[in-house]
Amino acid sequence: MLITCPYCGPRDVSEFTYQGDGNRQRPAPATKDLGAWNEYVYDRINPAGDHNEIWQHSSGCRMHIHVVRNTLTHEITDTRPARGGHPASRHHGAKS
Amino acid sequence: MASTRKAGQSAGVSAVARLSALAPVYRPGSHGNFEHGIGVALSEVVPTSIVQLAAWSGKEKKLIGIIGSVMGLALPDATGGGAVEGARAAFGVAPGKFLVSDDRDDLASIFAEAMEPDTGTVTDLSHGRTVIRIEGPEVEWIMAKFFALDFSLPAFPVGAGRSTAHHDIFAQIQRTAAEQFDIYVFRSFARSFWTALCRSCEEVGYEVQ
Amino acid sequence: MSSRRTETGGGRIDRSRPVRFTFDGVSYSGYAGDTLASALLANGVSLFGRSFKYHRPRGVLSAGVDEPNALVTILRGEVRNPNIPATMVEIHDGLVAESQNRFPSLAWDVGAVNQLVGKLLSAGFYYKTFMGPVVGPLRGTRFWMFCEHFIRRAAGLGRAGRMPDTARYEHVNAFCDVLVVGSGPAGLSAAKAAASQGGRVILADLDARLGGSANWSDETIDGVPAAEWAAAQVKDLKSRGNVRLLPRTNVWGYYDGNTMVAVERVSEHKERPNKGEPRHRQWKIRAGTVVLATGALERPLVFPGNDRPGVMLADAARRYANEFGVLPGEKIAVFTNNDSAYGAALALKKAGAAVVAIVDVRPDVSPEMRDLAGETEAELLAGHAVTATEGGKALSGIKVQRFDMQGGSLSGAERILAVDCLLVSGGWSPVIHLASQAGAKAEWNDSLQAFLPPKPAQKWVGAGAFNGSFSTAAAIVEGHAAGIAASGGTAAPLEPPSVEATPCRPEPAPVLEIGASGKSFVDYQHDVTAEDVRLAHREGFVSVEHLKRYTTLGMATDQGKTSNVPGLAIMAAALGKPIPEVGTTRFRPPYAGVSIGSIAGSRYGDLKPERLTPMHDWHVAQGATMQPAGLWWRPQIYGHPGETVEQAYVRETKATRGAAGIVDVSTLGKIAVQGPDSAEFLDRIYTNTFSTLPVGKARYGLMLREDGIAFDDGTTWRLGEQDFLMTTTTANAGKVLQHLEYYLDVVWPELKVTVTSVTDQWAGAAIGGPRAREILAACVTGTAVDNAALPFMGIVHGEIAGVPVMICRLSFSGEMAFEVYCGADWGTHVWEALMEAGKPFGLVPYGLEALGAMRIEKGHVTGAEIDGRTTACDLHLDWMLSKKKPFVGSAMMNREGLTAPDRLQLVGLVSLDNRPLNGGAHIVEQVDDKNPRNSLGHVTAVCYSPSLGKYIGLALVMGGKSRHGTRAFVSDPLRGRFGPVEIVSHHFFDPEGSRMHG
Repeated sequence: MLITCPYCGPRDVSEFTYQGDGNRQRPAPATKDLGAWNEYVYDRINPAGDHNEIWQHSSGCRMHIHVVRNTLTHEITDTRPARGGHPASRHHGAKS
Repeated sequence: MASTRKAGQSAGVSAVARLSALAPVYRPGSHGNFEHGIGVALSEVVPTSIVQLAAWSGKEKKLIGIIGSVMGLALPDATGGGAVEGARAAFGVAPGKFLVSDDRDDLASIFAEAMEPDTGTVTDLSHGRTVIRIEGPEVEWIMAKFFALDFSLPAFPVGAGRSTAHHDIFAQIQRTAAEQFDIYVFRSFARSFWTALCRSCEEVGYEVQ
Repeated sequence: MSSRRTETGGGRIDRSRPVRFTFDGVSYSGYAGDTLASALLANGVSLFGRSFKYHRPRGVLSAGVDEPNALVTILRGEVRNPNIPATMVEIHDGLVAESQNRFPSLAWDVGAVNQLVGKLLSAGFYYKTFMGPVVGPLRGTRFWMFCEHFIRRAAGLGRAGRMPDTARYEHVNAFCDVLVVGSGPAGLSAAKAAASQGGRVILADLDARLGGSANWSDETIDGVPAAEWAAAQVKDLKSRGNVRLLPRTNVWGYYDGNTMVAVERVSEHKERPNKGEPRHRQWKIRAGTVVLATGALERPLVFPGNDRPGVMLADAARRYANEFGVLPGEKIAVFTNNDSAYGAALALKKAGAAVVAIVDVRPDVSPEMRDLAGETEAELLAGHAVTATEGGKALSGIKVQRFDMQGGSLSGAERILAVDCLLVSGGWSPVIHLASQAGAKAEWNDSLQAFLPPKPAQKWVGAGAFNGSFSTAAAIVEGHAAGIAASGGTAAPLEPPSVEATPCRPEPAPVLEIGASGKSFVDYQHDVTAEDVRLAHREGFVSVEHLKRYTTLGMATDQGKTSNVPGLAIMAAALGKPIPEVGTTRFRPPYAGVSIGSIAGSRYGDLKPERLTPMHDWHVAQGATMQPAGLWWRPQIYGHPGETVEQAYVRETKATRGAAGIVDVSTLGKIAVQGPDSAEFLDRIYTNTFSTLPVGKARYGLMLREDGIAFDDGTTWRLGEQDFLMTTTTANAGKVLQHLEYYLDVVWPELKVTVTSVTDQWAGAAIGGPRAREILAACVTGTAVDNAALPFMGIVHGEIAGVPVMICRLSFSGEMAFEVYCGADWGTHVWEALMEAGKPFGLVPYGLEALGAMRIEKGHVTGAEIDGRTTACDLHLDWMLSKKKPFVGSAMMNREGLTAPDRLQLVGLVSLDNRPLNGGAHIVEQVDDKNPRNSLGHVTAVCYSPSLGKYIGLALVMGGKSRHGTRAFVSDPLRGRFGPVEIVSHHFFDPEGSRMHG
């Protein structure tokens, strides 16, 4: 599998580390709402299809990347720097 | 402010000779299948200073300008963009991040003086990275044995840099001439990497300079 | 044995270069260019091996990678490479090959008795006999355990060697615009077309000689013999700077993103590889587009005795005759369901064999085929079938009967024909393995009786026989179009070349099995018969995937290249369904056998690089025993002659606590945290506060995970207002850096902070003990090191022996201790200066064992206790949890389960029987060595404590502190260690810390 790093270009998947579900939103740090924290830490939508994921180009520029990957075909339709913000609203697989 | 920054993350300057990580395994001479010619030459480049420079978001161009004035190198504003002239080298390794190397003492302090904190950070890596140079007609072939990168000249032009890894060994690579690459590896891995590199070069015949 | 080498012909061999080799200890000679199979056939050898289950004698069926029978073991010295098709082995002087699965010898094999008990060994034999409860004396799992040794010896393939493989293997990466797989007419044409578009082209083929079928077809292309045409194409490709040719290369895997994996057999065809040359080279090729020109494989027919040595695929026989100048038989017959075998018969006739008969299942044979049969002077038996074969280790004759294609029935008198070779052809299967790997299901084509490639799910284009286009002219035209399309170009279709070939319609008759009594083999290599397939059906197996696993059809090393379609046809007939409804299994990598060495590449031995500290050579020179710690190598002890490990670390510990000791701590993870928001960032990451830390001071910090579990600990030094140096545990350095980067990139991108690994920038030496300060005072210049200048957790900058150093006063050993950091290239210089300065004070170097003993005595936690399950409270680190600010993990750390009173908590243990404790042992209230149960927790770390004079340990125990002062037992049934312990505070030594505070 190849992942196109927005900085480095297409690289082998072995250069990347999966860093979890890209849909989750961290609650405000001071929030005591355990439900919200529980959702952030544990709940995953695990879609069969397009999925928002976070990968780190750990054996490259070390940037974290938002990746939209189809969990059935491995097709990657979008990659962008995680610093650009949350892409969930633009893609399937976002929480509804 | 600048003085505390300067004191910060630099190993400093000394007249005491520095010990290469490769010392016991660095064996000058011709090795491997060299009877049919030398495919590549290996050497350790020993810049006095290696420094990482990182710009805050939006300050990348400013940093490129500072690198230009301190190093006398004009960096293209592109992925991995870099330039090299003699012992002076600079190249992009990550968004807003650059490696610069030079034979001036304590380049980290020079950059710390030249850079405001609101531009970015300066990190001295002079002792933390070992620079291995590989050059010669078979250089692209040998590099391909270690890294999953396209080393052809159009894909990897002279001056440009790339961050990648050979298994567990992280590497930052700059093409410093058409048939020459400088590989920056972590010092602790340098001997292992050098040994593996020598072994892979045996097939084409190699010389340690 | 008579020579089967023809007088002339054999475009691949060089008759001027004889080659000597041995097979089963007998010396033979062949020619350069021969395969082991062709050379042995030329020497009249017909018996190549014994079959997997029944130990039936087997010859050679094919001439290529599809070979199921003639598997051999190649020996290089003591190193054995088993299960290699003799058809793929290029002979060289000194080659040593052995047949497989025979005892004591190939000709006289004890296991052949299995043929007499064949009924017992039918499909599912293992499941039926050996699985489940004991229901009789010769049944069940226990019976299997008794029989396993004998069965494993009797059934199976080649034996792997016990000697380490001395050959060299390596990996290489390649990038190209177009990768062409297969170098037959279609592949050559595609490569040339793609190359003409200017992109980078790689052409790979399994065979040593490029050209594929052109090398042995009897055709001419544009007026020249096909082999010459191919050679000219290869020469042209070689001359181009943008083409790389990879002969002897098995493209075996098609992965996502057009990542193709291939193994090149670089040097095993040579008597001795060049210096530095690998045996195999694994290529990882990223191709813009792949052209699949992988051709087609001929299928055998299924009939009784079809595995007898001397039965051979028709096109393979043609290849032996034309390419190697070898006649597989002198009196041959042909058995076919299609036209292509007629051309093969003619080729053998021309090469000097007598063609006795052509047996064709089809009652109506075209006039062109009748003409060809006439040309071979063979008797044409249309509407006939072969019903049996005769002979022992070589074919002596075949039985033929009238055959009704519609009903499959046999009739009329049996005729016996005396032949020494039977050519069979059951039609052709396109090699669609890579396309299938790339995704999507193969499509059955009824008229070709074959699976055709699916629609591309990745970027590939097919050409030639791969597409089911079996004529050479079509292959060349399609190859050209594929090469252009793969390059993204547009060009007019190629004018078809003029090809002279024997006439041949590709459609076979839909007959793959002749139903007569006797063992009819479908999968030769796994000894699966047609009856086994039907038995599986009778026993209720419907899915092709289940059929495959139950009968093991297609699961041998050849992966069913010759058996898949016949097996499916038989299954479909049994089910009464058409083949497409039965479906086929998806092909998986590898396409053909791949050496384990080539997968490992240059990662051999312990498979990982060594990470060395700046002082490594000093430790080794001092006789330290080096020990791996992750990738790092660290001194375990600096043993004196005759000392045990325990004696050494006790001596080192006593010396440190009595005077001073020094340990290399360069492996600690070190991360530069820089930028205006660094302090704020650390406040969010650590459980305690760092924004209040003054410049020039260090603080011990603890990190949690988001779920509230402890993650890592270490000290962080404030070197400047915006400059911190964070240290982590050696093991977690990478994980902590990743943790920090994640929060900066994903969660708090607004923070202006840079984090950089500077582990390798600094050499670190921790020097501790009552005399440590005096030693520093003796060698440090430029700064005072007294209590005022360097209080606990203070940092000073100075010089040692002319080198700038940073010194922080902190302690892991519990002694008055200092960590001295300098640039890594000066590490040995500073270390030696410290050793020299320490001489008058009794300074000793100590290793990981003494470090561990001292930390256990102090009750400091490491990865054994911060094990991904413990909380800060469990480790009595709750004093570090700030209540004034949120931090990572603060929201979830107080959940019910994480604060429950029965959690395992850190305690100390003292052995009451004066025997060593074991890490991993359980703690129980009552020992019951027969039925160990009711664990209260477990031991995490153990040592002999020189300070206490006892064996002690740390443990995680239910109830924790409430058990202090109580007695329990260690229970370690695996190592048979049971005994009483006292549970105590984990602070064994100097709990007030008076020594380190001095």
